[in-house]
Amino acid sequence: MQLFHPSLNSIARLLVFALPLSGAGTGVGLAIVYRSGYITGQGEVIDQPVPFSHLHHVSQLGIDCRFCHTGVETSSFAGVPPTKTCMQCHQQMWVGSEMLNPIRESYRANKPIKWERVNNAPDYVYFNHSIHIGKGVGCVSCHGQLDKMPLTFQSKSLLMEWCLDCHRAPEKHLRPLDKVTSMVWKASDVVNAETGKPYTQEELGAKLKKEHNVRDSKVITSCSMCHR
Amino acid sequence: MSAKIDPNSTKTPEETKLWRGLDEFTNDPAFQEMLHREFPDDATSWTDPVTRRQMLALSGASLALAGVGCSPRPASREKIVTYVNQPVGMTPGLPLFFASGFTLGGITSGVIVKSREGRPVKIEGNPDHPSAANPTPTWSIAKGHAGTDAYTQASLLDMYDPDRSQNVLWKGNPRTWDEAVLAIRNQWDQFKKDGGKGVVFLTETVNSPSYASLLNEVKKVLPNSRWVSYEVINRDHVREGTKLAFGEYLNPVYDFTKADRVLSLESNFTETPAVPRYALDFAAKRRFRPDAVDGLKKGQKPSAEQLQAQLARLYVIESMPTATGMVADHRLAVKSTLIESFARAIAKELGIAVLAGDASISKHDAWIKACAKDLMENKGKSLVIAGDHLPPAVHAIVHAINQKLEAIGKTVNYTAPLEYGDLTKTGLTQFVELVKDMKAGSVKALFILGGNPAWSSPVDLDFKGAFEAAKKNKDFFSVHMGQYLDETGILTEWHIPTAHYLETWSDGRAYDGTVSVHQPLIAPLYAGKTPVELLAQLLGKELTHPRDVVREYWLKNWPTKTPEDTEFAWAKVVQDGVIAGTALPAKNPQAPANVAAIPVTKVTSGFEINFRADSTLYDGRFANNGWLQELPKPVTKLTWDNAAIMSPATAEKLGVKIRFSDFLGGSGGGEHGRAIVRMVELNYEGRKLKVPAWIQPMHADDSITLHFGGGRERGGRVAQGRGFNTYALFSSTGYTGTVDPKGLTEEFILACTQSMYSMEGRRPARQATVAEYLKNPNFAKIPWVAGEETELIYQNVPNKRNGKGGHNGHDDHSHGHGHDHDHDHGKGEAKKDHGHDQDHEHKHEHDKRVIPLTLYPSNADMYSEPEKLRRWGMAIDLTVCNGCSVCMVACQAENNIPVVGKENVIRGRAMHWIRVDRYFSGNDVKDSSNLVAQVQPVPCQQCEKAPCEVVCPVAATVHSADGLNDMVYNRCVGTRYCSNNCPYKVRRFNFIRYADWKTESLKLMRNPEVSVRERGVMEKCTYCVQRIRAAEIEAERQRRPIKDGEVITACQAACPSGAIMFGDIADADSKLNEWKERPTNYGLLAELNTMPRTTYLAAVRNPNPAMPKV
Repeated sequence: MQLFHPSLNSIARLLVFALPLSGAGTGVGLAIVYRSGYITGQGEVIDQPVPFSHLHHVSQLGIDCRFCHTGVETSSFAGVPPTKTCMQCHQQMWVGSEMLNPIRESYRANKPIKWERVNNAPDYVYFNHSIHIGKGVGCVSCHGQLDKMPLTFQSKSLLMEWCLDCHRAPEKHLRPLDKVTSMVWKASDVVNAETGKPYTQEELGAKLKKEHNVRDSKVITSCSMCHR
Repeated sequence: MSAKIDPNSTKTPEETKLWRGLDEFTNDPAFQEMLHREFPDDATSWTDPVTRRQMLALSGASLALAGVGCSPRPASREKIVTYVNQPVGMTPGLPLFFASGFTLGGITSGVIVKSREGRPVKIEGNPDHPSAANPTPTWSIAKGHAGTDAYTQASLLDMYDPDRSQNVLWKGNPRTWDEAVLAIRNQWDQFKKDGGKGVVFLTETVNSPSYASLLNEVKKVLPNSRWVSYEVINRDHVREGTKLAFGEYLNPVYDFTKADRVLSLESNFTETPAVPRYALDFAAKRRFRPDAVDGLKKGQKPSAEQLQAQLARLYVIESMPTATGMVADHRLAVKSTLIESFARAIAKELGIAVLAGDASISKHDAWIKACAKDLMENKGKSLVIAGDHLPPAVHAIVHAINQKLEAIGKTVNYTAPLEYGDLTKTGLTQFVELVKDMKAGSVKALFILGGNPAWSSPVDLDFKGAFEAAKKNKDFFSVHMGQYLDETGILTEWHIPTAHYLETWSDGRAYDGTVSVHQPLIAPLYAGKTPVELLAQLLGKELTHPRDVVREYWLKNWPTKTPEDTEFAWAKVVQDGVIAGTALPAKNPQAPANVAAIPVTKVTSGFEINFRADSTLYDGRFANNGWLQELPKPVTKLTWDNAAIMSPATAEKLGVKIRFSDFLGGSGGGEHGRAIVRMVELNYEGRKLKVPAWIQPMHADDSITLHFGGGRERGGRVAQGRGFNTYALFSSTGYTGTVDPKGLTEEFILACTQSMYSMEGRRPARQATVAEYLKNPNFAKIPWVAGEETELIYQNVPNKRNGKGGHNGHDDHSHGHGHDHDHDHGKGEAKKDHGHDQDHEHKHEHDKRVIPLTLYPSNADMYSEPEKLRRWGMAIDLTVCNGCSVCMVACQAENNIPVVGKENVIRGRAMHWIRVDRYFSGNDVKDSSNLVAQVQPVPCQQCEKAPCEVVCPVAATVHSADGLNDMVYNRCVGTRYCSNNCPYKVRRFNFIRYADWKTESLKLMRNPEVSVRERGVMEKCTYCVQRIRAAEIEAERQRRPIKDGEVITACQAACPSGAIMFGDIADADSKLNEWKERPTNYGLLAELNTMPRTTYLAAVRNPNPAMPKV
């Protein structure tokens, strides 16, 4: 007795290829989804109690990052400014603005503002801002072009592979210490005194890696560097 | 006859068998099988009772949650809650450190508390405070090393205890503080009418000058009132002893740094609560450094005398073995009642006129003579110290002995007493009078300001009954201030919760009188107030805040000329935590002590019962502290319960025994922590109590020791149902009495950690006498087992000193890595020569098992810049470690280690990352005189060739570049292969969710630098990697190497003896390398070639050759 019609043979042959392909396709698909902004939150704008604009404060007013994020050079946490920092200026300007009501209310009632966290590493990741700043990793490397963000969003995936990317080759993101907070600095702004040509990031990074005593990638990719 | 260690022994130490419990001693087959299991039978099962319904519900829920789990939508949307005004000096993410002080039993020790975002998270000793640190640091420890005791470490958990009293109560109904003050003030006005007749203030021992000044002011306002200060563990007998001997009340302050010979009569001085300094100073005199003998030329061998001079000799006479007794050079186990006779015999031997004690001690004549001779020969450098609980007569005789030994002014100084109040009467006498008056109805008002007299007081006084009697008087008014609504709190009309010491201002005197000022770390969690606040309110003070009370007092009573800039001076005091120059001046008595007429206490025959403070629960006040409940007691290794402790011979007489039994009558094996013991019924002064009997080798025969702390009625949810209330027997006749015990057949299960994690007779802890050391300086280095293997390794390991060996630049690896094989001298010499010949021949065919030495990547490029690659290591000095277990609590606090509870300890699931093994050796368990104890703290050894790493299927445990054996919790899938393959048994598995994820207050306590582990995850010691990384970041940012001593692990910081050293092996000048280069340095189970980074300095004892032989 014949169970299968001969025409199924071609389908069976097709399946020999199609099954693994669809399996692999699913895998690749999942990997893409896993890395997508939907999962990682990359590029997603979150509503804040006050629609704070980095674009305005950074590029239009030219305020340095460290004016508000005071802990960034010393602490693991860069710090979100206390209400008082906002009020230092906004006691004088935009005093009538409705947008700033939560700030004034917080200051008056001595009640903290609850900001929504934009860049969030999981609890088992012990990220430290100060050492990155201290070794010359620019703000822009992880936070993106904040000077062009009217509303703040997470600009990188913050996946571990993204961290390791740089930990394995830190020279890709090193810059002179005085340019760490710059949003516009490029390696080519610096001229190599020996060759008289502008630096490429790789060349300058390798040089700075030595100057800044950035440790070997084997050391800074040890698990306990970030997980304890 | 009983010399503890035979100084003339020719036996090589490796012949001595070590055992931990009686079952191991007898080599029970069940015990053998148990050892062979990584975790006991039952530990692997999920025994939380789950019903079918729950099971269905759970599986349903997990299906539903499966979808949720797969949706890691932006890791999580957390809030950032900012300050409105950020406090000055505070940076979120950075810790702040504040000086404060912890007071226990009327003595204060200085602490430094680490605060993260306003929450105290860790307590360390204050290096500026004399109770914690020696201002003149010795070579051997990190500069400014300041230890703590276990109570101090665990007091942090006490503050966050959710069971603390949270409301002011009036007859059980919630009230406010203001209402309470109003009501009490109304009464106060009534009291004033007759000068406070019948008004009593009952406090614990008060050593706070500002508090005492308020209590004295009360006495002025209410001249007929009375201040009674009593707590059950006190130092009244010491004070009474000086009165007997010298005619005045004094406080002895010991200086162990000057003592070469110490005789302790039941004094556990290395564990003195709130005086970690004693352990530190004593340890400073017990560092064995054969390579650092003064005046020795290079290559010259030190003589026995020179080596002995490095080790203070300790004699101990005691009934219950203590941490101090375990490290003694000579220990005599006798009944506590006989201690007085020993004191008399030694006094007589030294030529002091005293009456003779009991004749039965004459069999120890030779011991006493030799000991007395040794003390006398070291006149001015010897010291005798008696336990606080011993009767005043013993203390008086001991004071006279110290005078004879010319110790006064050298090893002991006398100062005015530390405590305040009526010093002419003992606290007990005052308390007896109070109870009598209460019964007679003449007490009109009782203010119980701290303490828990309804529970922790002699039962024959019947405080509760007296309270009820006093209540019959309609006008009777009572107030209780305490941290808990405890046995006393429910009796009184008013109950007011008190603030924890980390929540309020206070001051207190240290053991030498130095005053420390304690600032709060956090606002009271539960609106606690202090007695100081209440009294200040009642006295109508303008400033009633405790800060102002303390400040005002000291600005008025400044020890020197009042400073001009008081603000600055005060700020400095608060910052340092110490008021300089407040140590009490020495008042050394000149007149010879007269102890000739002190009557002899009659020694009764029969069984003796002793009541003692518990080494973890103290008098019971810490019963609700999970860290302390689960901390194995240093000697018995019991957790969660107390027991009647007796010697094996006594147990045989009573017919009681212990078995570490099989589980559910199964196939043998059984549970690591499950000790099935028999109960005994103790009949004491007509009161009966059934207690489990614990058989403790080294305990005195015909003597039973009970510890306070168990059986709390209203202790809180941790204390609930734990232990047995020994106060039910304790009477006002004293800490010792005659008891009629009866062994029962009834059984009880105790949780005991002594048989956990055994390393099976591989002589893990090594010990020798100076004589043995001289005979064989390598005694520590030759493992007892795997002899041939060892020889092979021995020959093949490159020796850094003479530049031999070396392989592909890995030379460094052999250096100081717990290698048993470098720096060989003495006996090893012949072999070494031989070895070198071979080495020469086989230069190109090294044993591959030895070299390449590590698993982790070679980092060859890093070696060119050695300052960049750190190689963390640790050494533990077993000569000074006394097994006090403070390291275990410190580790628990630092690393968020959960408490698992009695049931889980029984199953062998205790989670401590560092444990303290305690071994005995000796051939007759019933003869305490031939038994020797050894202790050994065991954290993760951070093996270079870690057996755990190769078996992990998911690479959850891997080496870091600086050689740490990292544990990645998030990768761990819980196969437990690593633990199975770990020869040291230092890995701990979360069989269930042990960490408390629910209780809000406990969340505040956790160290934010360390992950809280989930169920199904393996964990272990990481050398406090969070501290390493923090120091690294600091140093890297400043472009400098980490300084030696910059990273201090939690166990090292807390160790009161300074027995742990941590540092960088790659730093040739580090203190750690100094330790590791000692000839006594050995690696635990180094014969397995795991190359542990943690190594041990074998214990070397200094017994007196003149002592009688065993």
